[in-house]
Amino acid sequence: MYVRLKLLGTLSSCYPGHYPPAGLNIEIAAGATVADLVERSGIAQERVAIVTINGVLAKAGDRVPENAVVKFMQPVTGG
Amino acid sequence: MRFLRVNMTDQTIRSEEVAEAYKTLGGRALTSIMVQSEVPATSDPLGPENKLVFAPGYFTGTTLVNTGRLSVGAKSPLTGGIKESNVGGTVAFSLARLGIAAVVIEGQCADTSFFLHIEADGSAGLVEADHYQGMRTYALVEQLRQIYGDKKSITCIGPAGDMQLLSASIQSTDLDGRPCRAAGRGGLGAVMGAKGLKALIIDQGGKTAAEIADSESFKTAARSYAKAVKEDEFSGQILPELGTAALVEPINAAGAFPTRNARVGQFEGAEKISGEAMAELIKSRGGRTTHKGCSQCIIDCSNVFVDKKGDYVTSSLEYETIWSMGGMIGNDDLDSIARLDFLCDDIGLDTMNTGVAIGIAMDAGYRSFGDGTAAIALVEEVATGSEIGRAIGNGPVAVGKYFNHDRVPTVKGQSIAAYDPRALQGMAVTYATTPMGADHTAGWVVAQNLEAFGGTINPHKAEGQVELSRDSQIHMAAVDSVGICDFAQSGLASEEGMANVHTMYAAKSGLSFAGDDWRELGVKVLKAERAFNRGAGFTAKDDRLPSMFYTEPLPPYNVVVQVSDEEMASTFDF
Ligand code: SF4
Repeated sequence: MYVRLKLLGTLSSCYPGHYPPAGLNIEIAAGATVADLVERSGIAQERVAIVTINGVLAKAGDRVPENAVVKFMQPVTGG
Repeated sequence: MRFLRVNMTDQTIRSEEVAEAYKTLGGRALTSIMVQSEVPATSDPLGPENKLVFAPGYFTGTTLVNTGRLSVGAKSPLTGGIKESNVGGTVAFSLARLGIAAVVIEGQCADTSFFLHIEADGSAGLVEADHYQGMRTYALVEQLRQIYGDKKSITCIGPAGDMQLLSASIQSTDLDGRPCRAAGRGGLGAVMGAKGLKALIIDQGGKTAAEIADSESFKTAARSYAKAVKEDEFSGQILPELGTAALVEPINAAGAFPTRNARVGQFEGAEKISGEAMAELIKSRGGRTTHKGCSQCIIDCSNVFVDKKGDYVTSSLEYETIWSMGGMIGNDDLDSIARLDFLCDDIGLDTMNTGVAIGIAMDAGYRSFGDGTAAIALVEEVATGSEIGRAIGNGPVAVGKYFNHDRVPTVKGQSIAAYDPRALQGMAVTYATTPMGADHTAGWVVAQNLEAFGGTINPHKAEGQVELSRDSQIHMAAVDSVGICDFAQSGLASEEGMANVHTMYAAKSGLSFAGDDWRELGVKVLKAERAFNRGAGFTAKDDRLPSMFYTEPLPPYNVVVQVSDEEMASTFDF
């Protein structure tokens, strides 16, 4: 199944070649979790702090449904 | 180092040695302890007894990076309590290089307006400025540069400050000489207006080296600190690339982006006003996404927003303004947000209090949510001094009264910032209990509520939030005192980083500084601020959020504030 992965902040620079602003179409196994998708993306886990599935915050163990829009965001600091 | 005391009543200026009690203090510690000891807590904030104190941080003027911060302190006419408002730009560094630990504006001149001109040799004089009353900040700075030259740091008020409106800011020039950096919070521009002071003009040619007892140790620790700031992903890469607007997507994801006067926590237009979208737009138009706003900065979180023709609109368009003039008023148009940011700087208004005031007017049905053009017209009204303009310029509480509308998201009269306290409960504690009135920088506890896929602390529950906010408030009181920019805190995020700060404090003061001394510095500041507020009549009942946050569940996570009054009251159990 496919999901659309959007890399925010400077994460898109992890992607070799041109990163499409609309996100990447990624194939994952049915039942894959957020943690699986992070691994599949090749981005070091500590660089991803916040994940949403269809706009809602997700935990590492949450399953990613088919055709979901998933966003990866980096840790935030400051104020 | 010395204090410059300027008495506006008889227009005399006194230069004095820094008193022993203040020798190892700077920034917020200095302004708050001085205001607490010299200003009667019950005095009229717009009267002669109030004092307006400008103090660079304790490390400002040294070789440490990102220390170009100025604390401005006084009794706030907006909150009725003590205030420290923090601003970057070049003024703090210029003052420190003139050997000035604080400029203290005392007394009042009700019928004439002045500039305070501090020259390269440290001498200072008041220059009559009646002619400039009502002038906007960009025009004022332009004229002052023509008269006094380019090598001046200018800190000034616009028409809002002249009219003594409660959301009036104090604007300060950045490295390009534009008055675009704001000490926005607490209405301190109104205090400056009430004193009869239109601008401080400070020569940038000061040559006084910072007094450092052990300069080698200081330099070594400062270098190590700078390395950590550069190596951190947020301060080293994200902020230079996207600025603070990088926060739009994460905070919106958390459902904590107050939208349409905090009726919902996610804005459907967030992707259009995100840091990513703004960076694309700025680049495509030939503006600047990486820009140095303040002296000694190595992060460059600032930007220069330009219009379709490539002409300057504003600098720097930041997260809090993108929220207040964007999500809070339902506006997904970056061009109008940028224009609103410019207008607030030009008229001299806090973008947060003003955006929230407009959001309340829209919530009351006066204008439609999402109408950026109407918002621009309302901010222009402020400068005209019309009835609605004055209400907007006096902030959310005034607008709530004007429309008899009770959804007013403020604490102690000051608007919340861009984090809804229902979706980030730690921010509920900070907003409610900080002596400053709802203020995000007083104790920013967002990271812990969001990190590691959903937070190492549950953002929707009360557990652990009071401790988190307490620790952060103590820490921030110390950070604001040394003058380190919030965004350079990556330098002290590790044990080694904190040890560097201890080393620098000890090296500068010549005294020992270790262990709990950092915490004690923060506690000392908070104690002074709370003592002032108690004297001004504040009780535990003032450390509460408005009822909308306890009674209206915030979509999409449908949460209300869970932290009880007793828990709030325990925040300052020290
Ligand atoms: S990071 Fe931004 S706010 Fe901080 S000193 Fe640099 S330009 Fe100023």
